[in-house]
Amino acid sequence: MEATIEVAGLRKRFGPALALDGMTFTVRPGQITGFVGPNGAGKSTTMRVILGLDAPDEGHALIGGKPYPKLRHPLSQVGALLDAAALQPSRSARNHLLWLAHSQGLAAQRADEVIEQAGLQAVARRRAGGYSLGMRQRLGIAAAMLGDPPVLMFDEPFNGMDPEGIVWIRGFLRSLAGEGRAVLVSSHLMGELEDTAGHLVVAGRGKVIADTSVSALVAAASGDRVGLRTSARTEAMTVLAHAGATVTATGRDTLTVAGLTPERIIGLLGASAVPFSEVSAHRATLEEAYMELTRDAAEFRAAAPAGEEAAR
Amino acid sequence: MSQAAAAGQVCLPGRPAGALTGLRACLRAEWTKTRTVAGPAWLLAATAGLTVAVSVAVIAAVRCPAGMACPVDPGRLSLTGVQLGQATVAILGVLTISNEYSTGMMRTTLTAMPRRSLVLAAKAAVLTGEVIVAAAVGVLGSVLAGRLIMPGHGFTAARGFVPLSLASGPVLRAAGGSVLYLALIALLSLGIAALLRDSAAAIGIVLGLLYLAPIAASFITNHHWSVRVERYSPMPAGLAIQATRHLASLPISPWGGLGVLAAWAGAALLAGGLLLRLRDA
Amino acid sequence: MTTITPYRPAVQSGRDGFGQLLRAEWTKFRTVRGWLIGLGVAAVVTVLLGVLTGGSNDIACTIGPGAPVKHGRACLPPPPPTAPGGQPVRDAFYFVHRPLAGNGSLTARVTSLTGRYAAGQGPYPQLTTPGLQPWSKGGIIVKTGTKPGSQYAAMLVTGSHGVRMQDNFTRDSAGLPGLVSAVSPRWLRLTRHGDTITGYDSADGVHWTLVGTAHLAGLPATVQAGLFAASPDHTVINQNFGGGETGTSDPSQATAVLDRVSLAGPASGAWTGTQVGGGRAAAAPGRFQRAGNAFTVTGSGDIAPLPPGDGNGLGPNITIERNLAGAFAGLIAIAVVAALFITAEYRRGLIRTTLTASPRRGRVLAAKAIVVAAVTFVAGLAAAVVAVAVGDHLATAKGFYLYPVTGLTEVRVVAGTAALLAVGAVFALGMGALLRRSAVAVTAVIVAIVLPYILVVASILPVGTADWVLRLTPAAGFAIQQSVPAYPQVYGLYTPNGGYFPLSPWAGFAVLCAWAAVVLGLAAYRLRRRDA
Repeated sequence: MEATIEVAGLRKRFGPALALDGMTFTVRPGQITGFVGPNGAGKSTTMRVILGLDAPDEGHALIGGKPYPKLRHPLSQVGALLDAAALQPSRSARNHLLWLAHSQGLAAQRADEVIEQAGLQAVARRRAGGYSLGMRQRLGIAAAMLGDPPVLMFDEPFNGMDPEGIVWIRGFLRSLAGEGRAVLVSSHLMGELEDTAGHLVVAGRGKVIADTSVSALVAAASGDRVGLRTSARTEAMTVLAHAGATVTATGRDTLTVAGLTPERIIGLLGASAVPFSEVSAHRATLEEAYMELTRDAAEFRAAAPAGEEAAR
Repeated sequence: MSQAAAAGQVCLPGRPAGALTGLRACLRAEWTKTRTVAGPAWLLAATAGLTVAVSVAVIAAVRCPAGMACPVDPGRLSLTGVQLGQATVAILGVLTISNEYSTGMMRTTLTAMPRRSLVLAAKAAVLTGEVIVAAAVGVLGSVLAGRLIMPGHGFTAARGFVPLSLASGPVLRAAGGSVLYLALIALLSLGIAALLRDSAAAIGIVLGLLYLAPIAASFITNHHWSVRVERYSPMPAGLAIQATRHLASLPISPWGGLGVLAAWAGAALLAGGLLLRLRDA
Repeated sequence: MTTITPYRPAVQSGRDGFGQLLRAEWTKFRTVRGWLIGLGVAAVVTVLLGVLTGGSNDIACTIGPGAPVKHGRACLPPPPPTAPGGQPVRDAFYFVHRPLAGNGSLTARVTSLTGRYAAGQGPYPQLTTPGLQPWSKGGIIVKTGTKPGSQYAAMLVTGSHGVRMQDNFTRDSAGLPGLVSAVSPRWLRLTRHGDTITGYDSADGVHWTLVGTAHLAGLPATVQAGLFAASPDHTVINQNFGGGETGTSDPSQATAVLDRVSLAGPASGAWTGTQVGGGRAAAAPGRFQRAGNAFTVTGSGDIAPLPPGDGNGLGPNITIERNLAGAFAGLIAIAVVAALFITAEYRRGLIRTTLTASPRRGRVLAAKAIVVAAVTFVAGLAAAVVAVAVGDHLATAKGFYLYPVTGLTEVRVVAGTAALLAVGAVFALGMGALLRRSAVAVTAVIVAIVLPYILVVASILPVGTADWVLRLTPAAGFAIQQSVPAYPQVYGLYTPNGGYFPLSPWAGFAVLCAWAAVVLGLAAYRLRRRDA
């Protein structure tokens, strides 16, 4: 089986709200795919469809070429953390993992292994009702790892984690991808994924608005704008505008230039003897790139607060 | 949730002049909570509907053939539906508080309204009010069905069965008492739910308390004991209020029986309120 | 892009099958302490309520006006005779008999059956009112001896049930219908061949019809063959409107006139009259007159099973199912646990984890049903065994007569009670999956199973309606607890109040099973169709 998630043309309507509107993307092995978008973009619904929990109105989701319900021992093929709060409060972490292990024909020893992997040894025999959100996230991750699956999905795994936990989970996700697994991680906060994900699927209004590598996304968001600091603002604007650039004055001695590379700008200014003190390529953060992309989708959220929450 | 919390804030002490304070504010908050979710409305409608439906079914099934003595209490017979109606009332009473526990909303409520006994009192008052309305509809429908159907089934005035009318004292007592009975069942359920906090366990205890007593009484062959069970358990005692004839043969007087039920409900509420104050939310 | 070596899992999954699903659900069940406690509570209340209802019972009696009140065993009349199967029976009649030492045939023509009874005359009744009881009997009989409870086969005419062939107290088959009279006599014949006795009847003595065949195991070579008459008490049941009953019971007597009596075979001795059995028959002593081959036989009493209950000569008695009344309480606790087994998963969203681990949803529900049914059955069986043991012990200590049932019946009642709880659990699980709210599901279960029973036993419904309620609602399942069947050959009011269900034990249980299956089926349908 090839370790991939293939989502093609998913559409799903919850009453008046269109939760998924042609969601299409592929998650490949060996890298972390970030699945980002504002609340209500359809991330959780997509994950539920992938896991066969929700039936799409149109389209299909395949794991290694098969729909989820057709998988034998599904937890050995896909591990998923959807909702860390989905626990019976009076059952201990170990017993929670134990029944999951039994459902897959796995030995009880496997439960102990993932408890150790998730760093839950100290609390494994306490009732789950008393766990902090971070501990629940770790338990959810342990449950996802139970079948040692080649495909993993985590819905908002950073929620409720303390800084130490966030560092741990980043390293953990990287090591999973390093082992050749396909890892899909959803988040509505881009910053969490900035140093982790290699590939990004940005969702908004139930469809993919960008499916690209992190570096390409940042470059696209940065555009080809160049920042220029000069004491001769008017001269610089004239020279550069003649060369075909769009020049905007952003301050008393600063300009933003679009349409020319920094090298060309330096060349032009030097040839015309216009003084300048700084030329810098403007680089957007991933957060900015994301905000840029999802502005429309965020507006959608304000207009119709249904979406993902209503879908639950 | 935010709506209820907002409504609840007026319950805090030391509000500016003009704001509602104390019990009135809590009442308003609880009423807002009740009317803004669909569950209670459905349960109230079900209470009225099921009460009438079962009463009509039983009345329709019962005939008094000519020449046969029919030792029937028409008032009690017409109000049979209360025995099912009390089940939905019990659900309502239990969910009024255990629903908040299971969703964690109780913390919001108690943060907004820190005087816990006041919260329970407000819940009890709102619950009583809405149950009385639903119960009145169900009981009136049942009495009306009895009045319309029974004479055609052989229960004629000539044979000593005057058509049911609220103008008759015993019938009024049976009908009004049945409404009070249902309200007390709701309070009993609320108290038990406040004690147990888990809705499934609470409803099991409430319905066990109600329904097991008549079964136990029917199995006990020792007359003293079966009378004792019927006299002191909530359902057989409380339903004595439905009797309109042969009062002497009842194990307990109509109002005395309702008093027994009131004592049960009061004890449950008191214990529930006490635990609510003592326990961490 | 670099080439990636896809991940090869190091962990090997076991075999795929329903067994591991069962194991997972069992692990789920046993790891929630509250559910185990609930199961324990169900077992305890099942025992307690049964024992408390039984334990509160007491016996007190006075014999005769002004006599001191006596308690316990002193009130118990001498134990009744029992049939070969252990069934308590009434075996009192007037018997005119001769020994028959081998195979043979007994024939007689009945030309009249009349009776008299005492109508409500207090403790010293006179048989002054003419009239037959429905099961007044007169006819011919072949019996091991004159000891009450011994084996027999008889052909007889009755007060209002026509000609019957009856043997060994519980077996009864119908022959010619109608009343017997001089213009419409009934010919009766019994032929013995070894252990087998065959009964025939005829309206004219020429054309004979087979009515039935009785196999009396171990019948001795010499038996008593002859004529008999018996008449059970005149019983008036004022059937109260809602199934409650008040009854009076007074002695009665029947007189049968038989002629053309012939006993073919190795018969010896003269016709001898014997009063078999005692009890109230002694109040109206039997007798016979003979004129050639014509006999007039007068007798009182009955040859029939003795059902449990009051006022039938058994004295204070208790049936096995009385000890199991606590099943109602147990069922309520079980309903809570079984509904929570699924509604708790909905409440927390855990159902998604479950369905992710086992995407075949119907199988998940099936596994849950099997687990909850199995644990309930085990707990219910333990509770039922203890309840019966403790209840019997208490009842015996207080002087009650334990109404005997066969071992097989006892197993059916005890295991049936456990099965009743188990199916109730499946019903509750289905309701939970269907309604998803624990309080609503628990209420639905209790209202569906317990409330109909209350409406029936609390005498709210008229008998006919009550019977239908116990045929159609899940409460029909409690029929599995009925240990003694209703005997048509014994006049009485067989109402749910007295422990008699309108459906046979297994049919009633099947009704409950059908309800559980329908609810579980609907739940599975909904689970499969809806998003989790």
